[in-house]
Amino acid sequence: RWLAAGSLFPLSCIHTRTSLQKIGKWEKKNRIVYPPQLPGEPRRPAEIYHCRREIKYSKDKMWYLAKLIKGMSIDQALAQLEFNDKKGAKVIKEVLLEAQEMAVRNHNVEFKSNLHIAESLTGRGSYVKRIRYHGKGMFGVMKIVRCHYFVKLVEGPPPPPEPPRTGFDQAKEYVQQLRSRTLVHTL
Amino acid sequence: LVLVFSPLPPLRGLLQRCWGRLERGLLPGFSGGQSPPWGPALAVQAPAFLPQPVNDTSESNEAPSLFDSILWMAAPKKRRTIEVNRCRRRNPNKLIKVKNNIDVCPECGNLKQKHVLCGYCYAKVKAETRLIRLEMQKKEGGPFNAPSVETVVLYEGEKPPEKDEGKRIIERARKRPSWFVQN
Repeated sequence: RWLAAGSLFPLSCIHTRTSLQKIGKWEKKNRIVYPPQLPGEPRRPAEIYHCRREIKYSKDKMWYLAKLIKGMSIDQALAQLEFNDKKGAKVIKEVLLEAQEMAVRNHNVEFKSNLHIAESLTGRGSYVKRIRYHGKGMFGVMKIVRCHYFVKLVEGPPPPPEPPRTGFDQAKEYVQQLRSRTLVHTL
Repeated sequence: LVLVFSPLPPLRGLLQRCWGRLERGLLPGFSGGQSPPWGPALAVQAPAFLPQPVNDTSESNEAPSLFDSILWMAAPKKRRTIEVNRCRRRNPNKLIKVKNNIDVCPECGNLKQKHVLCGYCYAKVKAETRLIRLEMQKKEGGPFNAPSVETVVLYEGEKPPEKDEGKRIIERARKRPSWFVQN
């Protein structure tokens, strides 16, 4: 096969369907290449997508950790995860360190601390059903649960947190809504 | 043939008995576990209980205790919607709280909690202590041979100090670590 490829096509490597069954959408996000920026444009911050598939943990339990580190700087996230007792904390910490390494090596990030977590998500992995034995010869069906974890690191300091909505803001929005009403079906 | 664990056997027997009584016309207004309107549950249903069918001899012991409790056994009335479930699961008291007691260890530079020893430094000390203990085991040669005098650990190129005269000496074949201060 590789002989035919060398003679017929100029490319030396062709991604055939047989290699690595399915490359997930999150992994493909790292491959997008933007056109070069014009001189006047503000610098586009680097984005690094990383994920780990089929982690032996529940997606609901992992979600709490993902929610914890959303919007933090990478150093703060690593500190919080280091002293968290959950099983998923160790996994997410490894993922973050890998992503940080990838960022510095492949994605032209200058300072490894200058990253923040823009998105962190969990997804359902593949489940397997097994028999759980109860007393008196009864049985139940239990699910062995796995999850995926996705993270997107963006270069730059973390964005400041949104101030919570006060009553004044809500009142202002209400008045704005009332003022923007128009009369329908009239002259 | 494997039984599936969905209805409790006493409950199934109870339902069978209820429907049997309906057919016999003993409690005409009574269906599926509700109390009859003319009297308290216990008093009316007790005489109906006495002529027990032959099949339920195995369940006769459990039935009196569960038959009354079946009327107030708690069960969910409706399925909890995903919105209600989310409100409960994402309530701030269930989210993980951000810790603000994390500092940097001045010795090694790793992270540590304020009220806890630094994990890295502790692991370092633990490893060295384990090697010292191995040396002690080699010197003692067996259990219950601990001497009644104190022990002093000496590293390469160190002489036993004057005031530690009668103490047992454990030699370690390495340079003294910076954190192990001699007196």
